[in-house]
Amino acid sequence: MFSGYIYPNEYELQWSLLIVLYPYLTGLVAGAFILASLERVFNVKALVVVYRLSLLTALAFLIVAPLPLLAHLGHPERALEMFLTPHLTSAMAMFGFVYAWYLLMVLLLEVWFDYRKDIVLWSRQKKGILRYIYLLMTLGVTDISEKAVRFDEKAGKFITIVGIPSAFLLHGYVGFIFGSVKANPWWSSVLMPIVFLFSAIVSGIAIVILIYIVTTLIRWKRPDMPCLNKLAEFLLYAMIIDFSLELLDFIHRLYESEESIHILSDLISNRLFISLIVTQIILGSLLPMAGIVLARFGRVHDEMRRILYFISAFLVQVGIFSIRWNVVIGGQLFSKSLRGLTVYKVELLGLEGLFMTFFLLMLPFVILYVLVKLLPPWTEPTHPA
Amino acid sequence: MKFFKLPQQLVSLFILFFIIIVVFIIARRIFVPATFGVYGHYRASAIDTVKEQKINYAGAKACYECHDDIFETKSKSYHKDVSCEVCHGPSAKHVESGGDFAPEIPRQRDFCPVCHGYNPSRPTGFPQVIVAQHNPGKACISCHKPHDPTPPHTPESCSACHREIFSRKMVSHHYSLACTTCHTVPDEHLANPRLNQVGKPAAKEVCGQCHDKAAESDKEIPRVDIQTHGGRYLCWDCHYPHDPEVKT
Ligand code: HEC
Ligand code: HEC
Ligand code: HEC
Ligand code: HEC
Ligand code: HEC
Ligand code: HEC
Ligand code: HEC
Ligand code: HEC
Repeated sequence: MFSGYIYPNEYELQWSLLIVLYPYLTGLVAGAFILASLERVFNVKALVVVYRLSLLTALAFLIVAPLPLLAHLGHPERALEMFLTPHLTSAMAMFGFVYAWYLLMVLLLEVWFDYRKDIVLWSRQKKGILRYIYLLMTLGVTDISEKAVRFDEKAGKFITIVGIPSAFLLHGYVGFIFGSVKANPWWSSVLMPIVFLFSAIVSGIAIVILIYIVTTLIRWKRPDMPCLNKLAEFLLYAMIIDFSLELLDFIHRLYESEESIHILSDLISNRLFISLIVTQIILGSLLPMAGIVLARFGRVHDEMRRILYFISAFLVQVGIFSIRWNVVIGGQLFSKSLRGLTVYKVELLGLEGLFMTFFLLMLPFVILYVLVKLLPPWTEPTHPA
Repeated sequence: MKFFKLPQQLVSLFILFFIIIVVFIIARRIFVPATFGVYGHYRASAIDTVKEQKINYAGAKACYECHDDIFETKSKSYHKDVSCEVCHGPSAKHVESGGDFAPEIPRQRDFCPVCHGYNPSRPTGFPQVIVAQHNPGKACISCHKPHDPTPPHTPESCSACHREIFSRKMVSHHYSLACTTCHTVPDEHLANPRLNQVGKPAAKEVCGQCHDKAAESDKEIPRVDIQTHGGRYLCWDCHYPHDPEVKT
């Protein structure tokens, strides 16, 4: 159970599994959005195929992202008070605004501009209730002249440019919340927002790979290999940066060797061995990196390549989830006296339990399904397959 | 002349955002309490709400009026800093009514360990007992008077108050050493610790009596040359005397 000495108020962890879920979900949002912007701003043509899909993915996950926080609160209804009476010097209280900005000013706008022409067309073709839904979504703008569509194009690009720093803000902010806790040597690090950001990009690209492969399977289509290859490349680069940053952070701590180093090495070798060494580093980083290198640059058949991509992207998700776990749970497992460790037992039922987490993890996919039905994102590749 | 014409999209969006902002402003009007922000980032009338709450505690001095005997006894005892209502519970009603609504009296054995049960986070010298071992089965108040808890006789061992050091030493290499091997303790320290302070070893020789190469002690004891080993530092700058370890 407990080992060493631990203050009475540290036996029980205050931030539970749901708080692990929250940075995981926002990471997916930021990552998927940054991926989408690659196509938009940097003109990576191979990614056209997944552009809309990644936007919708980001939106679906963004809608769910605050739910774990709400479920964690004793009084969820009071969350609205941070909008009504903003507390400007509290990083946590500013979350509402960061979130609202990102949802309203970035994602929804970008989706709207991108789909506007299609929405107008659909509002003319569809029948019954759908027609009215589309009509509502046009916001009364039915102009689809070439000039108007060109404006949509420009506006979309502009929003993406604003959106990239916003996505950085959204997830960097989550890292900041942890990195700025002075009293916690496991969290307190200026590198935290940056590490969070890159792991977000990694997780975002990987989730889009997964969703893309699965959806093409369901639709009986052949996945567009150039696009998958490009995705895998970006995933690999992002992972290399992410991994080196984490390594840098690690070496930095080791070299600084502050007084907390003993308890932290205890933490790693006792409590976090499985989730850090095994799932985060070996299963979640090294193995998928090797898998991608093999699939991308090795001589393998396309079918095999897809399978390897899929497995790697899945492992990456496991790895990123472990990162969030190790940060959030790991940071609470040792005593502030630096003299002992506690344990975390996951609840099964209950508002912060395993089932709730699983539900919240599945919810984005349900939302994504609805979004995809409403706003079909399928673009056929522009080049011969 | 061609006037710059706002695209239709922007007009719609502006209207939409205008509506959102108006809704926000109205919501603020309705939901933010009127007195919010008068003194600070909170509802000023919360203070009145708090003030309206029933007063449950009478305060440490209120009891003196009628229980002056107990008050006097306690204020000269070890429990002088423990307020009456810590043990007897909120007694405002009792005071106001002039003696009705008798306060609770915690006679049961599990009450005193709230403060005196062994817990390593308690400050050094705070009197603590391991409840399971300290006269089990008998009520604490059968031996200690709650208003004047001077122990029936002074404790024989240091463990009564220095429980953490004692427990740590018990499982260390120094388990066989008595505290007095290294500390010279005036007898009064046991009865009145804060007034009679104990010295701490000041020189290496304390350790040297057993660990020096030349010392006449058990052969099992590891030896060092106390003149050179550790340089000019005191031994306990590196080895915690109550739990000495070689590897640090
Ligand atoms: C106005 C006078 C008065 C004040 C002030 C007062 N008491 Fe009392 N208290 C009494 C009387 C009268 C009794 C009943 C005496 C008896 O039955 O022997 C009593 C009895 C008690 C008892 C014993 C109850 C029992 O069941 O035998 C306790 C305990 C007690 N008081 C605690 C307190 C505390 C604590 C305070 C201060 C917060 C306090 N009293 C303040 C008048 C007072
Ligand atoms: C450490 C806890 C503690 C504190 C502090 C304390 N009491 Fe008591 N008190 C007790 C206990 C236990 C008894 C029961 C004693 C018994 O039955 O032998 C008691 C009994 C009493 C009684 C009724 C029996 C008697 O001895 O007359 C009164 C009255 C009383 N306390 C008043 C006070 C007042 C007044 C104060 C503050 C000056 C005070 N107590 C502080 C624990 C406490
Ligand atoms: C609210 C905490 C608290 C409670 C409850 C409490 N005590 Fe104490 N007790 C103290 C404090 C504080 C001291 C003084 C310690 C010191 O001098 O450093 C003390 C001292 C003592 C001492 C030792 C005096 C010495 O030799 O140092 C005894 C014995 C004692 N209490 C018995 C009791 C008994 C019996 C009860 C239950 C009726 C009790 N205490 C309840 C806080 C408490
Ligand atoms: C049979 C009588 C008896 C009972 C019952 C008893 N004690 Fe003691 N207690 C003593 C004696 C005698 C000492 C003196 C120290 C020693 O010899 O270890 C002492 C010492 C203490 C001390 C250490 C402070 C000091 O000055 O030594 C505390 C604290 C204490 N008792 C609290 C309690 C508590 C709490 C209970 C109830 C759980 C309790 N005692 C029950 C007899 C008793
Ligand atoms: C009745 C409780 C009690 C007993 C019994 C007791 N002590 Fe203490 N001791 C204290 C307290 C309280 C202090 C803290 C004094 C202060 O900080 O002013 C203290 C302080 C000390 C210190 C000095 C700590 C410092 O930081 O300067 C030493 C050494 C010490 N005790 C050793 C002993 C030894 C050895 C024994 C046994 C022979 C013993 N004590 C028995 C209560 C006790
Ligand atoms: C091997 C010799 C040795 C023995 C045996 C020993 N002490 Fe100490 N003790 C020391 C030295 C040396 C210091 C001074 C440490 C320092 O200043 O860092 C000390 C410091 C202390 C202090 C001050 C607080 C602290 O932790 O530094 C207390 C209290 C104390 N001793 C109590 C005890 C008690 C009680 C025992 C018996 C259970 C005991 N000691 C046994 C050598 C010893
Ligand atoms: C009364 C004799 C005595 C005194 C005085 C004494 N020690 Fe020891 N020491 C021992 C014994 C006995 C052992 C245990 C040897 C064994 O494990 O076989 C020991 C073991 C040690 C060890 C080795 C622990 C290990 O991991 O092997 C260190 C270090 C040590 N003592 C440091 C000190 C220091 C520092 C002091 C002075 C504050 C001191 N000793 C005072 C008797 C003493
Ligand atoms: C600068 C830190 C330092 C100081 C001061 C120091 N030691 Fe050591 N001591 C060590 C280290 C490190 C070791 C283990 C490595 C070694 O064997 O040299 C050790 C080992 C020992 C051992 C075990 C030797 C063995 O063969 O197992 C004893 C006994 C010991 N020290 C006693 C003392 C005594 C007595 C003093 C005071 C005169 C003292 N030390 C001062 C650092 C120190």
